[in-house]
Amino acid sequence: MSALALTTHFVRREIRNRYLGSFSGGLWALIQPLIQLAVYGFVWIYVFRMRIPGGDNAPGIVAFLALGVWPWNAFAEAVVRATTAVQDNAALIGKVALPREVLVFSSVASSFLLHALGFCAILLVFWLYGTPLRGLGVPLAAALFLQLFVLALGFALLFAAIQVFVRDLGQTLAQLMPLWMFAGPVLYPRDYLPERFRGWLDYNPFTFYPEALRETLLGYGSTGTPWIVAGVIALALLALGYGVFRRLSPHFEDFL
Amino acid sequence: MSGDVLVRARGLGKSYPQVFRPRDRLRALWRLLRGVADPNASVVLHDVDLEVRRGESLGLIGENGAGKSTLLKLLTGVLTPTTGTVAVHGRLGALLELGAGFHPEYSGRDNIAMSAALYGLSAQEMRERYDEIVAFADIGHYIDEPVKHYSSGMVVRLGFAVVAALRPDVLITDEVLAVGDESFQRKCVRWMEQYLEDGGTLILVSHSMYHVQKLCRHACWLRHGAIAAYGDVFDVTQAYLAYHEAKSAAPAERAAARNVHGLEFHLLDLRLNGIGHDTPVLVEFAGTLRVDIVVHSRDGRVPVIVVGVARVDGTPVYGVSTEMDGVQPAAEDATTFRIEVEFPQLTLLPGSYIVKAHPLDSEGVRLFDTIERPLTVRGSSRELGLVRLNHTWHNAASPRLRGISGG
Repeated sequence: MSALALTTHFVRREIRNRYLGSFSGGLWALIQPLIQLAVYGFVWIYVFRMRIPGGDNAPGIVAFLALGVWPWNAFAEAVVRATTAVQDNAALIGKVALPREVLVFSSVASSFLLHALGFCAILLVFWLYGTPLRGLGVPLAAALFLQLFVLALGFALLFAAIQVFVRDLGQTLAQLMPLWMFAGPVLYPRDYLPERFRGWLDYNPFTFYPEALRETLLGYGSTGTPWIVAGVIALALLALGYGVFRRLSPHFEDFL
Repeated sequence: MSGDVLVRARGLGKSYPQVFRPRDRLRALWRLLRGVADPNASVVLHDVDLEVRRGESLGLIGENGAGKSTLLKLLTGVLTPTTGTVAVHGRLGALLELGAGFHPEYSGRDNIAMSAALYGLSAQEMRERYDEIVAFADIGHYIDEPVKHYSSGMVVRLGFAVVAALRPDVLITDEVLAVGDESFQRKCVRWMEQYLEDGGTLILVSHSMYHVQKLCRHACWLRHGAIAAYGDVFDVTQAYLAYHEAKSAAPAERAAARNVHGLEFHLLDLRLNGIGHDTPVLVEFAGTLRVDIVVHSRDGRVPVIVVGVARVDGTPVYGVSTEMDGVQPAAEDATTFRIEVEFPQLTLLPGSYIVKAHPLDSEGVRLFDTIERPLTVRGSSRELGLVRLNHTWHNAASPRLRGISGG
């Protein structure tokens, strides 16, 4: 009960912290990916003249991109921000006894909360725009987001714990994130890759999510790995992250 | 002893890793992941055993760096012990540092909500006690301003108000009482007395022996990360003060070796209540002290004898000579003189003292020799200073009964 109250407080504080003092406030969470989407759409349509393979069944490029960019932003932002969650709260950890996992959880949760809101808005825009969305796809998409949350939490716990000891991790990670994105089918379909590279994408644990979202919502393409495998991978990462975090967290105070 | 044990520490120890270079951090990470102990960690606390029962009040005293704060952090769970265990039963409220857990950007109200959640108060309980907290803090319109605009006193008020509303089973507090203004300090002390009267349990860290003696029945003296003394508050605080006084006393004074050969007068013996060596002589407050002095007089002249009492740090308390009182030491034989002086109903307050004796020549002009003997006065008086002055209170109302030290 009180752990829940604590988590709620931290999530609220985290969200408020991000928009404290900015005029656009929470609106920024919507505007930023929309702008990003517009830029990508423009470049992909008019500069690269990209078409999604698949003939008449192929979805519009914007819908295709949206289902890659949104989950990626949620995932990447959650992982990068949560990596420094423990370090950023050093003052608190040194003075108050609290379950430190709450800090990481709250950071990941607030990133996902904001991006999920944006995602709902964009789905609404598509629906109004006449993009054919599968009705059943929406609850499945929600389930996919939840699973992505589990994966992100696993990475976040792992990185946040290591970050306390190795301070370079946070900065390195921020630099490596674009690489991680391009190593997955976020901005391009898997079919664009030469035959022999396509299988490599499956080593990226994020690959499953844009593909699965496109499949469930747009009926486009298929996933490289079955859902159940992706689920097991997400849970395994959570277990690994949690294990490392629990092992290291008694010593955080000594190294902060 | 009655009451269940609320806080129990067994073999508690804490070591910090020695981390100087980034490389050490990597090595430490690797070691921790494998679960191997650090061989060259620096130990700040070791082998601490504590037991605090419900309704007990324990004062933690010790020099800076003795490990008091580390011990508190271990008890509150902020730190994880390297060795040993801590078990706490019941709700624990801690005021460890100024504004711990407060976010400077947020208003007092927001911070109240946050720290209440940090202390494990549910949203429901929080709502019920909210007004109580605001009223106790009593910082007016500042409650709606960001905490960064607060004075340190206001931060303490807010922090204390939250803890007070928590109604903890065990209250742990570091020297925060010292920051608030006079009226708030009184409020805090009053609250604590009430809290103790209602059966609350307190662990207090303070450098103020006054506060410790006023609020605590037991005390624990930490020195170099280990318990130096643990027990009744008066015994422990007196031992601690004596240690301090001895430490600050000029060491040069005692180094002067007794070179009495060929002096006209020198002391043969000095006994306090019959004891003539360097271990402290124990006298109860208001007890009797007898000082027995034997002097050798080379030429058989009658010496004047001075007896003095000083605090361990050298502050003189009282001195008197045979000449002042018009008496003379009696001759034991041709060159040996002896006299005894008795101080009945000793009014020296509990603490550590030194009794000195000097022989002077027959004219009472030249001082020859010195012997010192340590004296410890024991007792449970909370009076301040060195001696009890005779006094009577007039125009006083009938006493209110609120014994916390009397038990």
